[in-house]
Amino acid sequence: MTKIRFAVLILASCALFGCDNANEGSTDAKYPSRPITIVVPYAPGGGGDTFTRAIAIQAQEILGTKVLVENRMGGGATIGVGSVARAKPDGYTLGFVSSSPVVVVPNFFEVPYDASTDLTYLSRFVVSPYPVLVRGDSSYDSFDELLAYARENPGRLRWSTAGINGAPHIATEAALKQEGVEAAFVPMQGSTEVLAGLLGGTIDMGVMSDYAGPLAAGDVRLLAEIGPEPIEGFPDIPTYREMGYPLAPTIFFGMAGPAGLPDDVIQTWETTIKTITESESFQEVTVRLNGNVTYLDHEAFEALVLSDIESTKKALQTLGILEK
Amino acid sequence: MEAILEGISLSLSVNALLGIIVGVVLGQVLGSIPGLTAAMAVALLVPFSFYFDPWVGIPMMLAMFKGSLFGSSIPAILLRTPGTPAAAATVIDGYPLAKEGKGGKALRTVLFASVFGDAFSDICLILGSGALAAIAIRFGPSEYVILVLFALISLVSLNRGSSWRGIVAILAGVLIGCIGLDPISGTARLTFGNAELFDGVGLIPMLIGFLAISEVFTQLEQPLKTLSQRAIEFSKRPEDNKLSREERRELLPTLLRSSMIGTVTGALPGLGSTVAAFIAYNEARRTAKRPEEFGKGSLHGIAAPEAANNAVSGANLIPLLAFGIPGDVAAALILGALLIQGITPGPLAFRDNPEPIYAIFSAMLLANLVNYLVGIAYIPLAKRLVSVSKRLLFPAVLVFASAGAYAMRGSLFDVQMMFVFGLIGWLMSKFKFPTVLLLIGFILAPILERSARQTLILIDSSDGLLAFVQSRPVLMILLGVLAVLAVLVIRQQISMRRFTDQDDDGVMGPG
Repeated sequence: MTKIRFAVLILASCALFGCDNANEGSTDAKYPSRPITIVVPYAPGGGGDTFTRAIAIQAQEILGTKVLVENRMGGGATIGVGSVARAKPDGYTLGFVSSSPVVVVPNFFEVPYDASTDLTYLSRFVVSPYPVLVRGDSSYDSFDELLAYARENPGRLRWSTAGINGAPHIATEAALKQEGVEAAFVPMQGSTEVLAGLLGGTIDMGVMSDYAGPLAAGDVRLLAEIGPEPIEGFPDIPTYREMGYPLAPTIFFGMAGPAGLPDDVIQTWETTIKTITESESFQEVTVRLNGNVTYLDHEAFEALVLSDIESTKKALQTLGILEK
Repeated sequence: MEAILEGISLSLSVNALLGIIVGVVLGQVLGSIPGLTAAMAVALLVPFSFYFDPWVGIPMMLAMFKGSLFGSSIPAILLRTPGTPAAAATVIDGYPLAKEGKGGKALRTVLFASVFGDAFSDICLILGSGALAAIAIRFGPSEYVILVLFALISLVSLNRGSSWRGIVAILAGVLIGCIGLDPISGTARLTFGNAELFDGVGLIPMLIGFLAISEVFTQLEQPLKTLSQRAIEFSKRPEDNKLSREERRELLPTLLRSSMIGTVTGALPGLGSTVAAFIAYNEARRTAKRPEEFGKGSLHGIAAPEAANNAVSGANLIPLLAFGIPGDVAAALILGALLIQGITPGPLAFRDNPEPIYAIFSAMLLANLVNYLVGIAYIPLAKRLVSVSKRLLFPAVLVFASAGAYAMRGSLFDVQMMFVFGLIGWLMSKFKFPTVLLLIGFILAPILERSARQTLILIDSSDGLLAFVQSRPVLMILLGVLAVLAVLVIRQQISMRRFTDQDDDGVMGPG
């Protein structure tokens, strides 16, 4: 009986961890010669996880090797990113990266990596709009009206966003500060809580990305976009850049590896991700997840990340949010 | 009507049925392995939903969740190791009953209660999701504060006699719950600079350590000659292995009450099945005819948390279908799968594209039935699997517990935490501290803290406390109910103090 139990458990765990040693080949063969692991620093089921799994499935076919997805969440995504930074730079451990753990979080905490030197930024594949939302029946028709109300009633406008000290939070704080508005920030965790708080009347303004369903149903309306580019299909919604706010962060999703990746690995992934982003199935998934496919190659992506890191730090210091 | 029939036919196809059966079997088996939660298993299924027909993938996911909730209670009862956190409360009465040789009866009770709770909340979801969601969305931070206070007051009401140990245990749980990033300011608290602790102590490593590893330590203390004995004996008498009709009838009020608690908890995003299970357990004990049986193998004590945690699984879809707000990780994963298939849940789905919704409903009901049938077949198998000598069983528990703690997020740190909590749990039960209270403190404190501090910000941004309360009708009702409950509990305490001896073990014994 014990035998059966062990067999069942071992089979189950093999199925779960995808332990498949058959593909383990020699290391000096052409890349890739064995399974590749992509670390997702977020919990299964979220946007980052879904994108990475969509990429992994296609990359597996293109590269002809297994591409595994491993969720290493925790520490505001810094644990997962840290494990990628520390991995051997052989191209077999890569990771999903998004703006916050790379550009913003290192300003507030000691993180186990230096985002400007410890990572190779392979390619960006998606940019996600991140709008300012109000309830569908809200009396404010524009961002200006909302600001006017907030200015007349200091400390009365309640708002929240999906992550404390994430890029959208800091950018919006900076915007409100520049407008001379004093608002009540209600800290919440995740877009679920923000959406529930918005619909239930706990807060009046939410800054979050998972808005497709409620927007279609008329439960929420868009007032502004925190990034530099207008949201597709909503050219009249002003952006933080148009309004001249100090920070207009692009919420990007991309792929990275440890510093010092060999050139052939970088090239392989550049072409692989480019091919995937051009595929119809990936574009469909992106539309459904409310993103825009915007591919950037290694060089352009790395330049963007480095300049984002600089500008964010500077903005935080001038705003007095960050000392130093 | 046509949409309903079309939806039902979607879920009745051979492939969908197959998906449900595979989902239930996988769910029960994976659920019974500690550390592998249903959410993890389903997350691994998500990529397949790119390939599968959605009407195989989605019913399979739903079935997997239901199966895993039952599966996770099997090791909770037989090995004191909940397969997922939701089954932690089931340990309190399930394990003592199994030790009496009535493991078969305990498992039958779990299965009956699970399927009952599931069916109850599915029916609530189908008949009243719109109305329930409209109420649930009115629950903000201030209302959550009151709900947690309900739970704490009903906990106090269980506490007969003075129990400084109980208070110490709850406060220790609260303290452990404070580890991690401050929920309001985002600064690190009690982490000693360790990034692994930023998100707090993981519930799964802690539970496994606290319940399973501490039991392994306890077994280590036993004389060597007991090693070749079986860890658990099953009585051969048929009445110890089944649930009689009278017992079922007697459980009915508990099942109904617990299912309601689970449904309400599930409709409120962010509370989860573990919280529901503990609240239902407390309520069952508070209202029991023979509360003295609780903690020693009461069938009510097994049925209540099981009905409640299963009821959460259906009710979680209430805010999802009404507003597109997923109630928990499980619902979030289903939302992800639906989005990938081009279905956006929310009020529009009912109007524009109702077939998938009805297909989900009928798949859920069908999954309940399959869950019951597979469960009946799995119980005898599970009993045989643990019918080995202690020297084989407990090392195996140790190995799987470690693997489970590691698997959660691939972290050796979590395995270390598991052993630390194993040691703490063992010491606590040696010195007669109620470990269950520590767990409840740990689970409830973060919800209470976050909601209370959010509420303070909300009050601060209104025209004073009174104006704030007046602006929230649900809060006014809850405050009224809370006041009544508090008075009842105080009167109950006074009369108990007058008539009963002091029981220094406090709530639920060393549990």
